[in-house]
Amino acid sequence: MKRALIFLLTCLTAGLFCLTARGQETSAVREKLSRAVLADGLEQQKLVSELGDTGSKLVHDVLVAWTRDNVFLYESGDAKIPVLLEDQTDADGKARAINIADGKFLLDAQKRELRFAPTELASADTDAALRTVIQQTLDTLALADSDPDARQNAVLKLGNSKKLKNLPVLQARLARETDVSVQRSIKEAIAMLQLGDADPKIQAAAAQQLAALKSIGSLDMVKTLADSKTAPPEVVKAAKSAAETIGEHISFVNILGTIFRGLSGGSILLVVALGLAITFGLMGIINMAHGEMIAVGAYTSYVVQNLFGTGFAFSINLPFHFFGHPLGFSLSLPGINATGWFYETYFLFVLPLSFIMAALAGLVLERTVIRFLYRRPLESLLATWGVSLVMQQLFRMVFGANNVQVSSPRWLLGHFTLDDVSFGYNRVFVIAFAVLIIIGTWLLLTKTPLGLLIRSVMQNRDMASCLGVRTARVNMMTFAFGSGLAGLAGAFLSQIGNVGPSMGQLYIVDSFMTVVVGGVGSIVGTVCAAVGIGTSDQVLQQVTGSPVSGKIVVLVCIILFLQWKPGGLFSIRSRSLD
Amino acid sequence: MKKQLMKYLALLSLAGMISLPARAADTVKIGVLHSLSGTMAISETSLRDVLLFAFDEINAAGGVKVGDKSYTIEPVVVDGASNWPLFAEKAKQLLEEDKVAVTFGCWTSVSRKSVLPVFEKDNGMLFYPVQYEGEELSKDIFYTAEAVNQQATPAVDYLLKQGKKKFYLLGTDYVYPQTTCLILYKYLLLHGIPPENIGGGFRKDDSGKVISAGKYVPFSYTDFQQIVADIKQFAASGDACVINLINGDSNVPFFKEIAAAGLTAADCPVVSFSLAEDELRALPTKDLVGELGCWTYFMSINTPANKTFLKNWDAWLTTQSYPGVVKEKRAMDSPMVLSYDGVYLWKAAVEKAGTFDVDKVRDVLESGDITFDGPGGKVTMQKNHHVTKDVFIGETKANGQFKILETFPQVYGEPFLLKDLDAKLTSK
Repeated sequence: MKRALIFLLTCLTAGLFCLTARGQETSAVREKLSRAVLADGLEQQKLVSELGDTGSKLVHDVLVAWTRDNVFLYESGDAKIPVLLEDQTDADGKARAINIADGKFLLDAQKRELRFAPTELASADTDAALRTVIQQTLDTLALADSDPDARQNAVLKLGNSKKLKNLPVLQARLARETDVSVQRSIKEAIAMLQLGDADPKIQAAAAQQLAALKSIGSLDMVKTLADSKTAPPEVVKAAKSAAETIGEHISFVNILGTIFRGLSGGSILLVVALGLAITFGLMGIINMAHGEMIAVGAYTSYVVQNLFGTGFAFSINLPFHFFGHPLGFSLSLPGINATGWFYETYFLFVLPLSFIMAALAGLVLERTVIRFLYRRPLESLLATWGVSLVMQQLFRMVFGANNVQVSSPRWLLGHFTLDDVSFGYNRVFVIAFAVLIIIGTWLLLTKTPLGLLIRSVMQNRDMASCLGVRTARVNMMTFAFGSGLAGLAGAFLSQIGNVGPSMGQLYIVDSFMTVVVGGVGSIVGTVCAAVGIGTSDQVLQQVTGSPVSGKIVVLVCIILFLQWKPGGLFSIRSRSLD
Repeated sequence: MKKQLMKYLALLSLAGMISLPARAADTVKIGVLHSLSGTMAISETSLRDVLLFAFDEINAAGGVKVGDKSYTIEPVVVDGASNWPLFAEKAKQLLEEDKVAVTFGCWTSVSRKSVLPVFEKDNGMLFYPVQYEGEELSKDIFYTAEAVNQQATPAVDYLLKQGKKKFYLLGTDYVYPQTTCLILYKYLLLHGIPPENIGGGFRKDDSGKVISAGKYVPFSYTDFQQIVADIKQFAASGDACVINLINGDSNVPFFKEIAAAGLTAADCPVVSFSLAEDELRALPTKDLVGELGCWTYFMSINTPANKTFLKNWDAWLTTQSYPGVVKEKRAMDSPMVLSYDGVYLWKAAVEKAGTFDVDKVRDVLESGDITFDGPGGKVTMQKNHHVTKDVFIGETKANGQFKILETFPQVYGEPFLLKDLDAKLTSK
């Protein structure tokens, strides 16, 4: 019993001792942080780099806040106190200020907590040199980060530093590291540092190690060593063979990357052209307003994004007067001020809405213009071209002549890397998206009653009409569906390109090209043509080393191909096309 | 209602009749030749606006004083419509029909090249305000624009000082980026950067001489996947940066692709020569934080002169009633300030010469004594028709402004760099 009590007591004291030690350590760190913020020049950089040894989460948070201009200086008398503002704000947008030096809230003379809005305080400045130091410090801290990706980045940076003094840190980390890919990066970084070692044996071993790791990042270093005239012959030999191995790996990565980029390029073409494959391919309307349907979708994503944020307002003032009153129209929609993950979901709402908006626009276009022109393709070309000009001007009046900003949701921004080939999420998304809408379109056309009607009307309008199909209605639905698909394309394009009044013009030629090459009237043809053109474009860009000559070669090939097979890849004989 | 309208109309025309002859006596016509429609309108209308602002400011302060008379400025605004042959026609109209004393205008180098013969033939005077490739000197053009050694080479100096060892050159395919990249390529060689560390590829003529360096894309290009993958591989070994001379809205897909590839300003900064505050308004600035810019003026310059200038500009925007001048969400940037500086340099020269005569004003401008304390610091017209001015390096912030990192004070504008660089390279 007694013994147990003593044990307990010892434990308690030990615990207490630990706690106070911790406390002292933290307060020392805090004090140093605060000094670092207030110092300047080289002194500041030195203080910051010393903070790297602390391994403290607090240091990380403050340094990150600092680079984002979120560390503020509170001036009390002559002294400046570095503070952070709490995340939680009150109704006036003000927050309590935490003194970095002691972790307590700032109080005024009456011991009341002071509250500030971020604009009321001057933020602590950083410059490029300081941010580099902060970044290095964060790297050292990041070596112990819980996220493997962050660790990996930190490791690579240290590997590139060419400073042998970083070697022990990395070796210590390697012993503790459990994540396989981080282990690989650490090995790579260690080998890169060892290339600069004085001992030729270590240098040669490092070069061999880099070859085994197929390290692209080290290619420059290895090449320099291989061309070096002063290095010992065995090192040069090892470096040469390493450079060769890495070079081979790079060409492999390029081939894989090109295939992926070709697929994603093809998917964009496909998404853009699929709507046209329906309105032009199936219905036979030379729809020059297809690009503007894409723009409708893109502007829809702009409006939805604003509705999720601060709201959307516009006003049109017509240059006419009606008995002295200026004619105009204005609309203001309040935003829901969404933040965080909910805001990021805006794009999920964009997809159906852009389809619906573009489909509605298509519906109106079909009812007002196109239904009179079904048997007159050339007039439909002129009429839809006119409509496209009208729509562009409409966009200018509502949204302005300048491009508008559409920011991507965070989940579309990142990328992942497999064997040194990086796959952007937005690109992976467009491939999946293209596959999905192809499946959707195929199901609609072949498995639903509407699809049956569409196919029958497109094959022979008169016969379908005789059999009691309401062809006018089917035409309307088909055109709206094709336009809706263009709208979906616009929603996606807003994530990778510009949204502006004349954006549709950029895609109209590509769309027609894809549909014609694929064979007018054939959805399968459009798919094959899109993927084929996309991939060969990327391959030729890689081969010729210039984006323009790649495109030229593709276009020449298309011309020759159409000479040989005027009907496209999958030519269909149908009465509607005769 | 109709009667009232008629009355107003009558009154208006009466007022017009009275005021016109009164003004015509002491006015001087100044030409404004910019694209107010077409692709370039987005950038060029801002220059028209700032010129109108400068004219109003001068008129309010008593006009241009020549001898003992004051002349009110009467702007003649014409639209080049982003159509280069039309620029030449409009220039001819300004010089031969309107007989303007001076013209402020042009943005793209090709528009300048197309009006140049007209100005030379009719002995006109043109002030050109937008950063350009140099290698040109016409007696009829005064280049308030940044020469290559007032934008591109200071930016490279800065990057070299930051320890960058690899430079990727990228631009839109036309004369300004091509020439600038070629100059930069030679400049980098001269500063000990080996050709294999200059990315983007080279084109050589039959004798093996490099005639073009860097990667080029057409206007309005959108697919930057391959180029960004190339840059990523180039930057994998660290200490790399990108020199971006892409013009116009192609920058949006480029920077979106850069962000998606995970290339950050900390790993591989991008320094852009065609993105100023005015262009940043239409770009996702969130993705651009930390990327660099180099100009002879930034809106964020913290001097009393700049603050007063911006305050006056805002005040003018809200009160002016010119058709087509947008009042809200306006920015100020380097080409605009250089247009503004040009107006005052011309005014100073005219007042010193005591005449509007083009030859005499040119002589005064060429004397090298004409200076103006502009919003971006002191500017001095040099003998070689270029302007000595301060150069700033800045980095983009999330609010679309630049934070100034470094200042190169009073840089002498030198249009001919290629010959000099070639000579230095051969002697090396």
